[in-house]
Amino acid sequence: MSVLLLQLAGPLQSWGASSRFARRSTENAPTKSGLIGLLAAAQGRSRGDGLGDLAGLRFGVRADQPGVRVRDFQTAHHADTGEAMPVSERFYLADAVFLAAFEGDGALLEELHEALNDPVYLPYLGRRSCPPARSIPLGVREGGLEDALNGHRWLAAEWYQEKRKREPEVELGAWIDVREGETAHHELRDLPLSFAPEHRRYAMRGLEYTRVTVANPQGAPPPPVPAHDPIAALGGE
Amino acid sequence: MSRTILDVHVLQTVPPSNINRDDTGSPKGAVYGGVRRARVSSQAWKRATREAFKNVLDPAELGTRTKRVADLVAERIRELDADIPYAEALELAAATVAAATGSKIEKPKRRKNDEEDQAPESSYLMFLSARQRDGLAELAVQGRADIKAFLKDPENKKRAKQIANTGHSIDIALFGRMVADSSDINVDASAQVAHAISVHAADIESDYYTAVDDRRKDDEPGAGMIGTVEFNAATLYRYAAVDVDLLSANLGAGLRDDQPPSEPVRRAVEAFVRCFVESMPTGKANTFANHSLPDAVIVKLRDSRPISFAGAFEAPVPQGRENGQVAEACRRLRAHIASIEDAYGTAEAKTWLLRVGEATEELEQLAAPLPLDQMVKEVGEAVAARVETSA
Repeated sequence: MSVLLLQLAGPLQSWGASSRFARRSTENAPTKSGLIGLLAAAQGRSRGDGLGDLAGLRFGVRADQPGVRVRDFQTAHHADTGEAMPVSERFYLADAVFLAAFEGDGALLEELHEALNDPVYLPYLGRRSCPPARSIPLGVREGGLEDALNGHRWLAAEWYQEKRKREPEVELGAWIDVREGETAHHELRDLPLSFAPEHRRYAMRGLEYTRVTVANPQGAPPPPVPAHDPIAALGGE
Repeated sequence: MSRTILDVHVLQTVPPSNINRDDTGSPKGAVYGGVRRARVSSQAWKRATREAFKNVLDPAELGTRTKRVADLVAERIRELDADIPYAEALELAAATVAAATGSKIEKPKRRKNDEEDQAPESSYLMFLSARQRDGLAELAVQGRADIKAFLKDPENKKRAKQIANTGHSIDIALFGRMVADSSDINVDASAQVAHAISVHAADIESDYYTAVDDRRKDDEPGAGMIGTVEFNAATLYRYAAVDVDLLSANLGAGLRDDQPPSEPVRRAVEAFVRCFVESMPTGKANTFANHSLPDAVIVKLRDSRPISFAGAFEAPVPQGRENGQVAEACRRLRAHIASIEDAYGTAEAKTWLLRVGEATEELEQLAAPLPLDQMVKEVGEAVAARVETSA
């Protein structure tokens, strides 16, 4: 069993799982459909091509730096008539960093890793206007999904690690596909069945929320409290 | 596989302005590196670039302006299916163009001594881009069995109209098109434009103003109206990437025999670089007159993947430095570029530089500086050469 690790970092990201019409929200973490779209685009698959082998990979994501939600208000006008089009709201995660992982067959994952280094379609973090600020592929390694998410170093930005330097270890949220046959406590409709423009289809995906503890390289124990006896200042008789 | 990807990076200082505001009238913002940044949305700069195309591109250079549209489309029909006789192709083309444009396509009056039937003509000059020509031809071939009945179908008639209603195809080839109810004529964008973000922390400020009623009476002192306008000032990092291979596919080959097949792509790339660099969204321009041009432009031609340098500014550039924020931004950008290119083996990417003023001197370690016209020309030539070799 192998795991493909991805780093998702940039000024803005947006991962919709139920976004339609004028209000386009984002989930708090990358969606499986969004990342499978990223992998398929890197391989050069057309929207109508099959996704079975990618959707079958087991998926997990760790929120190394949860980010801040940003709302973008957008207007548009018809170029010829000047007629106003409906306004829309789009939501982004700003200042976020995620570690994502896919578990599956080593050969397929190596192939995907190569594709991400030399993508056929330009990669983006959920929206075309969100190019990644860091390289996405982190490598393929042996082992299982949980081990990879538990064991990988913390990817948050240095300023963020510094901000949490009081914590030698930090606790991070993670969402992981449930194993076959296990009961899911959470569900999300982001398992892509088809990206064909005329009929995009998604299925429900069972996932588990868990906490992962990793070391903070900027962590430092608080300085010792200096000895101080205020009573002594009062003097004694 | 060798790809052709163009990265355009811009550092541009904008004085107090409100280029792109939200529904409350405030300048848009985002958070990066833990601090609030000024932001200009991707859509705003795409629209500004698109508007700037009008000053740079002559539509005729991208297609053909002619009355003999039926002949033009008929030739393409025969390229798609050589079994279709020319006369039938003309009929199919005339019917399809008529449905698409609402224009009459008729044979011109026969003149004395005309030996053969003339091709039908439209009643006025029409502009057809390569994409439109291809689209109409494909539609005509689909409806070959009975073109009249085929085009009476509302769905097909609508498709014909939409194919024809594409105007300047360069902007659609670059920025894409999504039609919800006719997804088969969607176009994937070949350009990505990132939201422009300030390299430093940026607060919103407001200007309180009053306006006096010129016709007020002396016993009515005070303002006729009061209000506030919000604004900020920023040095922005702007970034766009163009997938030249996809752009080439979107545009199709040149229509004229005297032009190389790479000509439409070269023209599109030149137009994009020039217009992306020189454009400015017009939000509140009358109030702020924020007409600045970039301090620095870096263009890179890559063969594998696009790379954004936004990470150079994840730690915000502090205020109060000598030479202002541009110099420190350039220092960080140069260091970040060197680090990224070394780490990922992309240092050999072809690089062009445009820069203004002493503050940007450090960027000369990347490439020799060029004026904009020269840069645009050289980028166009390099892209055309790559497209030629991969064709």
